[in-house]
Amino acid sequence: MIKMVHYIGLLLDDSRLEAIKGTGLEEKLTTLFGGQVKQLIMEVPEEVSKKILAEFPNARIDSRSFLEDLPVAFKRALFQEVVNKKSLGAEVIEAVFQKIDEIKDLAAKESEYIPPPDIDTSEI
Amino acid sequence: MVLLKTPPPHGGNLVDRVVRNPDRAKKMADGCVAFDIKPTMLDGVPIRNVYREIMSICYGFFSPVDGSMVRNEVERVLEERRLLSEWVFPYPLVFDISEEDYKSLGVGEGDRLLLRLKGQPFAVLDIDEVYKIDPVDIATRTFGTPERNPEVVKVPFDKKHPGYMIYRSMQPVVLAGKYTIVNEPKFRNPFDKFWFPPAKCREAFKEKGWRTAIAHQTRNVPHVGHEALMKNAAYTGDVEPCRGILVNAIIGAKRRGDYPDEAILEGHAAVNRFGYIKPERHMVTFTLWDMRYGNPIESLLHGIIRQNMGCTHHMFGRDHAAVGEYYDMYATQILWTKGIPSFGFEAPPNEVDYGLKIIPQNMAEFWYCPKCQEMVYSETCGHVDMKQKLSGSFIRGMVAEGIFPPNIIMRNEVYKAIVKWWKVYGYPFVNPKYLEEKDKNLEVDLPPMEVSKG
Repeated sequence: MIKMVHYIGLLLDDSRLEAIKGTGLEEKLTTLFGGQVKQLIMEVPEEVSKKILAEFPNARIDSRSFLEDLPVAFKRALFQEVVNKKSLGAEVIEAVFQKIDEIKDLAAKESEYIPPPDIDTSEI
Repeated sequence: MVLLKTPPPHGGNLVDRVVRNPDRAKKMADGCVAFDIKPTMLDGVPIRNVYREIMSICYGFFSPVDGSMVRNEVERVLEERRLLSEWVFPYPLVFDISEEDYKSLGVGEGDRLLLRLKGQPFAVLDIDEVYKIDPVDIATRTFGTPERNPEVVKVPFDKKHPGYMIYRSMQPVVLAGKYTIVNEPKFRNPFDKFWFPPAKCREAFKEKGWRTAIAHQTRNVPHVGHEALMKNAAYTGDVEPCRGILVNAIIGAKRRGDYPDEAILEGHAAVNRFGYIKPERHMVTFTLWDMRYGNPIESLLHGIIRQNMGCTHHMFGRDHAAVGEYYDMYATQILWTKGIPSFGFEAPPNEVDYGLKIIPQNMAEFWYCPKCQEMVYSETCGHVDMKQKLSGSFIRGMVAEGIFPPNIIMRNEVYKAIVKWWKVYGYPFVNPKYLEEKDKNLEVDLPPMEVSKG
């Protein structure tokens, strides 16, 4: 039986781009929308994506085989480990799973509170 | 070619049931039995507040409807989508209360009931008829079934559909009759900036010289795909593109995951304030309505509201006002192209007697083409295999992660409007806490008004 591969897209804004500077991950960036959206794409073996889906019932696999609707806490932890390990490999998700209980606690609170970004909105 | 002009209100005249003279208002309210308006609840969360319907009726958005419908009118609407006066109308609108409240009020036909909101007199209801409803039956017939409406209904409506649940959660006793607002509510910031009831909106069109205007329905913060839709749909018109684009947001209880109403209004306003569409050609307004997500049925209400506001055209997209896959994704466009006989339309609603005058503009999608290097219309661009869609869930994911969306997806100032209200509510989207706070505060405050007790 052929094993499926799924993907997780990690979107990068300026601060995240800054965080991966010098890690070698810059070369793995892919772009969308004329280069204005940059992302790192992680490959996720089927058995790992099943594990992720089991932990987060709202998550789903979309028509592009991307895991979507993942909790923000999970995506933030994933990016942090990508930076720490300078890798998009399997060890990143393994490291995230080490903290899965903590992440699930944060994810549970996400329907109540998500910290807003610290940007100036005074012109609105 | 005949030049288009502002269409007449649906039904011929704009309803205006707001008493602005305080003495007259007090006389109307004095001595009445009073009732504090209660929200419709589902699992402890408010999903509708009838005050929004009363406002939209009394200020003329839903003309020619002027009150809570009598039983025969509800039946006619459900069977043929027409009022007893023959004019097309999509939804039953009723003032529903519990058996216990009905018993304790002790009112009946011929009585006047004072409706209080936030502890103050708000409106009166002159009761013409009292009758009972079966909320499940009303809910089912409002939205249709695959058996009765096979042209567009794909699966039975269920508890996951927010509009269906509004009707299902109604109380069983209906007090039918005309509403009159006796104490005008004052809109709070930011709603006050966008309050243009139909009569005022028509005046604004005149001042702006908007002979033609196209309506844009929204329950969303605009991304650049919406902006492209507005700009391009406005090229319809007569001998020239439409002179105006009227954004009319639906404000009320919404489903979880939608954006807060304040962010929707200020997000759209940012489009013109910061020049992406110049304000001379773009205007942001709202209608109070707890959205029913009724796709083709909702599109009829949208057509009526915007015709009453003075629009000549209305843009309708795929999955218009839809949630889930209950309806065919093109149901609204089918209605406005050839009609849906099982819902009472052998022809489009603007081609039937007592129908609408507003002209539909059915639109497909806009997406980014990396080859053309711009936002393109799906039916025009030849590089379909390269399309990059601006999906709502993609953008919501970006927003939730706190990632500043690039200008090609969402204008910086629009995103800042989201963050501004995110800071207020601690959450970028509608959640149960937001709905509870919204129902407590509403969009309005009511001035104190003394009336003698009944």
